[in-house]
Amino acid sequence: MAEAHLQPGAVGQLRAVCVEVGDDANVEVENFRFCLEALLDAPPFAGAVPTIVTRPGPDLRLAYLEVDDGRSDD
Amino acid sequence: MAVRTIEVRERVMAKNDEIAATVRRQLHEAGIAALNLVSSPGSGKTTLLERTLDALGDELRISIVTGDVQTQNDADRLAQRTPRLVQAVVTNGACHLDARQVQTALAAIDLGETDLLFIENVGNLVCPANWDLGEDAKVVLFSVTEGEDKPLKYPRMFHESRVAVLTKIDLLPYVPFDVDRAVMFARRVNPDLRFFFTSALTGAGMAEWFGFLRDQARTGAHATP
Repeated sequence: MAEAHLQPGAVGQLRAVCVEVGDDANVEVENFRFCLEALLDAPPFAGAVPTIVTRPGPDLRLAYLEVDDGRSDD
Repeated sequence: MAVRTIEVRERVMAKNDEIAATVRRQLHEAGIAALNLVSSPGSGKTTLLERTLDALGDELRISIVTGDVQTQNDADRLAQRTPRLVQAVVTNGACHLDARQVQTALAAIDLGETDLLFIENVGNLVCPANWDLGEDAKVVLFSVTEGEDKPLKYPRMFHESRVAVLTKIDLLPYVPFDVDRAVMFARRVNPDLRFFFTSALTGAGMAEWFGFLRDQARTGAHATP
């Protein structure tokens, strides 16, 4: 999903990933955090920081990505 | 330099749900009722399907997709009871079926020659609740040896299911299982849950189950359990 939302070749520029976990999503937050940290600790996402936010409801969502794309600030 | 934020707000399950919608449309167009059997391991999904094929196999055109983490033992057992193709999906470690696996399995099934489709999911009362496979309804099985509090321990599965089958009721004299409490707990999670009480060994309650399946097949994809 992250790759689909980034420019081609920009995966290495990923700096943060935020996932929303619904409290009825059947997802154990600490187990999920472990998996997400492991995923973001290795290429191609190495160096990105995981953020997990809990929300009411059944959904598991990719909330936002933070990317350092090298462009100057506007 | 600036770190930019890309808002996504996309459900992780969105792609699966998109494929599931395609599967559901395909089944509806073919007039097929599809039931997704879910339960913990050993609750009797395969045995229930064996008895169902024995009883209805000549009357209804029943197709089956089975899911197992390893082996295709369930599919092999069911293939002994029907001349029709039983499609086995081996998930290689995954604890549930997903919609793409079902879509792929259906490609080998003649949907024009099918009245009723069973998807026998991987034995697991947690993850399969989250995955829409394109079925008309989830059917949750639980046996009298599992304890009557299963609906409270795994509420999402019972909430997502439209039918519950209590299996192995022939063992009720030998186990401390309170049927009324089990039903009460399940209906606390899902007040609309329809119950069947069965023993595949003695045949108790099977006639009601078969009648339900006949109704599903007759009404096809418009069935409302």
